[in-house]
Amino acid sequence: MALPTYTTTGQRIGYYTYLFYCGLVFFFLIAPIFMIVPLSFNQSPFFGFTPEMLRFEPEAFSLRWYRQMLGICRPDDIITTVCTNKWMIGTKNSFIIGLAATFLATALGTTAALGLSRPHMPFKGTLMALLISPMIVPLIITAAGIFFFYAKFGLVGTYTGLILAHTALGTPFVVITVTATLTGFDTNLIRASQSLGADTMRTFFKVIMPLILPGVISGALFAFITSFDEVVVVLFLGSVEQQTIPRQMWSGIRQEISPVILCMATCLVILSIFLLTTVELLRRRAERLRGIRL
Amino acid sequence: MFKLIKIAFLGAIGMVFAATAYADFTFVSWGGAYTMSQQKGYIDTWGPVKDGSTKVSVENYNGGLGEVKAQVESGNVTWDVVDILPVDAINGCDEGLLEELDFSSWEKAPNGDSFLDSIPENGTGVSGTISPCAAPQIWWTYVVIFDPKAFPGKKPKRMKDFFDVEKFPGKRGVHTWPQAILEMALVADGVKPNKVNKILQSTGGTDRAFAKLEELKGHVVHWSAGAQPLELVSSGEVVMSIVYNGRAGAAILSEGASFDYIWEGQVLDGDWVAIPKGSKNKAEAIEFLKHATTCASQAEQAKYITYGPMRSCGNDIIKKNEPWFHNGIAVLPHMPTTKKRMKKSVVTDPVWWADHNAELKEQWAAWMAGNK
Amino acid sequence: MNQAAKAEILTTDGIPLKVSLRRAERINKFRAFALVLPLTLFIIITFVIPIIAMLTRSVDDKQINTVFPKTFELYKQWDRKELPTEEMYATMFGEIVNADKRAIGKASTRMNYSKSGWKSLIKKSKRKFKKIKEGPYKEQMIAVDKRWGEIGFWKALGEMADPITFGYFLNAVDLKYDSNKEIIRQPENRRIYNYTWYKTVKISVLVTLFCLILGYPIAYLLATLPLKYSNLLMIFVLLPFWTSLLVRTVSWIIILMKKGVFNSILVWAGIIADENRMQLIYNETGTLIAMTQILLPFMVLPLYAVMKTISPTYMRAALNLGAHPMHAFYRIYMPQTVPGISAGGLLVFVLAIGYFITPELVGGADGQLIGHWIAYHLKSTLNWGLCAALGTILLVVMLALYWVYNKVVGIENIKLG
Repeated sequence: MALPTYTTTGQRIGYYTYLFYCGLVFFFLIAPIFMIVPLSFNQSPFFGFTPEMLRFEPEAFSLRWYRQMLGICRPDDIITTVCTNKWMIGTKNSFIIGLAATFLATALGTTAALGLSRPHMPFKGTLMALLISPMIVPLIITAAGIFFFYAKFGLVGTYTGLILAHTALGTPFVVITVTATLTGFDTNLIRASQSLGADTMRTFFKVIMPLILPGVISGALFAFITSFDEVVVVLFLGSVEQQTIPRQMWSGIRQEISPVILCMATCLVILSIFLLTTVELLRRRAERLRGIRL
Repeated sequence: MFKLIKIAFLGAIGMVFAATAYADFTFVSWGGAYTMSQQKGYIDTWGPVKDGSTKVSVENYNGGLGEVKAQVESGNVTWDVVDILPVDAINGCDEGLLEELDFSSWEKAPNGDSFLDSIPENGTGVSGTISPCAAPQIWWTYVVIFDPKAFPGKKPKRMKDFFDVEKFPGKRGVHTWPQAILEMALVADGVKPNKVNKILQSTGGTDRAFAKLEELKGHVVHWSAGAQPLELVSSGEVVMSIVYNGRAGAAILSEGASFDYIWEGQVLDGDWVAIPKGSKNKAEAIEFLKHATTCASQAEQAKYITYGPMRSCGNDIIKKNEPWFHNGIAVLPHMPTTKKRMKKSVVTDPVWWADHNAELKEQWAAWMAGNK
Repeated sequence: MNQAAKAEILTTDGIPLKVSLRRAERINKFRAFALVLPLTLFIIITFVIPIIAMLTRSVDDKQINTVFPKTFELYKQWDRKELPTEEMYATMFGEIVNADKRAIGKASTRMNYSKSGWKSLIKKSKRKFKKIKEGPYKEQMIAVDKRWGEIGFWKALGEMADPITFGYFLNAVDLKYDSNKEIIRQPENRRIYNYTWYKTVKISVLVTLFCLILGYPIAYLLATLPLKYSNLLMIFVLLPFWTSLLVRTVSWIIILMKKGVFNSILVWAGIIADENRMQLIYNETGTLIAMTQILLPFMVLPLYAVMKTISPTYMRAALNLGAHPMHAFYRIYMPQTVPGISAGGLLVFVLAIGYFITPELVGGADGQLIGHWIAYHLKSTLNWGLCAALGTILLVVMLALYWVYNKVVGIENIKLG
């Protein structure tokens, strides 16, 4: 953005200082995320840049930690850690729990959002507050409450327990995004469809769904990442069998600092870039089509 | 396009599922280098594994009896051998969650001592097994290490030097929970190691320990995870730190770090192995434990980690065959359990700690808050 | 009468339109409600009820009263000056011997909070009392363990005699009951929670402030730049938002370590000497830096959403009328962003006050915020009452803030980027 010609030198300096400050903040936000990527290719078992790495010597880089992450063992990889496929098991668990929770959260959340957006909805504010409360209550309280309650029903240390908990945590995102999509929704379309003879289900899948789909998908992605990234509830509720990626990272950081964590982190960064891009594309599409901001 | 994504997606899930392996015997432990040493020392050397008739899968857990309890109560016991802390071994046995073991036919020591007698008394009243359900494993300790370069002149030798910030100036690394540091404070205050538990548990014992700790106030950097203290010492942030001895040993023996130990006043804690009640492979599990507790297996484990074999015959094998560590370095200088060092150490009392943990943790937190 | 009837408009079915409309309205309401119902039920069952159940746990002392009902009856008559009578010993003996193993295990854990030592005493007694066949019991019990002869243990039972207790809440603010159920302060060496509350609030306030200082300018930049630039820059805010919390925590550990990236750069640039590397992690500094970066997007996004709706014409008008740009910004623009500031501020504060993972990993001893103690009592001491009391206080603080948030901005206005 160019400055108008009438700005004084003082204002000019002020403006560039401001831009510089903003640049620093953006750097502060983004640098930590990308810094781990080169480190995950470190040959040495240390958590920092070795002088060899800074000189770009090829021997300083390797894929050994990625091999370990994948559970591929070679005798020449130093024997400081036992060769396990715990990261792969973690990945499996994260996906099982994440996908199941996302599915439930999306189904429940979308239905509820459809109801909430109807003009005749009673107690709308109260219900909305209730439905998005899982997003607001500090996780530690949620985790503690859920732990006590689920323990009574034998749900601690089960996939079911974790999936239910993560579904509850994910629904607010679906409700919010789908409600936002529905604000610009033209209800005449439903009437048109019904007057043309479509039944409720057909109207839903052929008319409503395609229009709110971007909202539903980005809500689902939010729900997925919420579950995928969640560690406090897993810490309390999950047993060894339900160790997810974040859970493994948590114990990894505390117990055996090894660059394998950085490899997993790099994978997660790539995943988040992928999800972010998808959500952004969907949002822009919705914006372009109907001028709605999710 | 969607089809493509779907295929890729299903493929990814399929691969992930394929990654979980099938096994017929499950050994559960704490993970990391410790589990690696158990794998090398016990599992890989076990007959049925060597001849390929049994596959042992190793799982990690975070301690506690929660999972064992859940399995026993639901009747679906999937663990066969579990590595546990003394307090859990005692409680688990009391509550009927672990199988009781009959040690009479287990390997005798070379000098003819029965199995139980070969787990020596170490000056603290603990000898034999702590519970009829627990088979001996290793001693691990909280020990003080320092970087010799930080003390060009006189080097700290005794626990009281750790507490003497005038003679040996510099920060100390201490963990964020009260275990071990209280025992160490009493040793520094002049209590004989084998009397520490008695004094600590008597009236005013903890006050005495905290009073001694006052001398350290303002000179402590706290660590909260086992990997941190070595970083603190090697970066010079602290001149001495309490560490898990296995961590220090690994850093010295595998990565060439140079630390010295103060063995006096080290606080020993044990790790035991047990079989959850109702294990589907009970007979096999007992055979495995018998194998894992032989003098040879116990010594074999010490090739990969510097935790001390509970059976002293394990130490004897190491002594005869030095350098014993897998990379050709002598391991005994880093072992906490040589006869000489055992005499200077405190063995922590799990039952007393179970009683006083919460109270002392709060007191310790209050102490930490004042450590500014 | 006649006229009124005439005025009534009928539908083709002959039903008055008013009635028909009302019915349609009712059906619509019902349909809308039916759609919301499944999720509402789900949230109530899997989320709201567990939290309410946890709240009740913070005052619940029933379990122990089901194990020692008769002893507590007698306890109420005891003068608490000297050791109890043989009758009370005998009752206690009977209740220990006859109690279910698991129930008494739980009870002994509870008793241990009021006085350390009960746990092992009850355990040992349960094991050894089997050998005692007949009374008198007092001496025999004391012979099994001399703690039975210490009046302190008996006195400590007092705070458990009622099925409802506020003892846990008192503990949560460094108070307690004495043996006469008077409220007194904890002994000085055990006062830790007030300090922890203070530390938690302090860190949350500081993080919120830092987020505002860092977030406000960039939100303004994003809101005023042309869309094609702001969309690009928005990625800098959204990517951290989408990236795993643990990933970001790990990277802060790497950056802030003594031999980490930040110190190394300073040494390399000659700003500090190699031996003077700064301690930036495992203390409050590290906690503040990492938490600020992690929570910053939650400040920027609501601010941006509000700023986006502010028309630039007001500023132009002010400038046009001769106001200094800074002055115009301060008097005209800032007041309009207050909803954004409060929304972002409260969101960050609420998230920060319940934070657990990051402080625990990068905070060292300073990272033991209230979340640490909730987790500790939940997992290690199994003092679930105290855990619930701490959680309840936290939840009440949070709900109060939530209420303010709702008043100021409205819950419906939460936006996600």
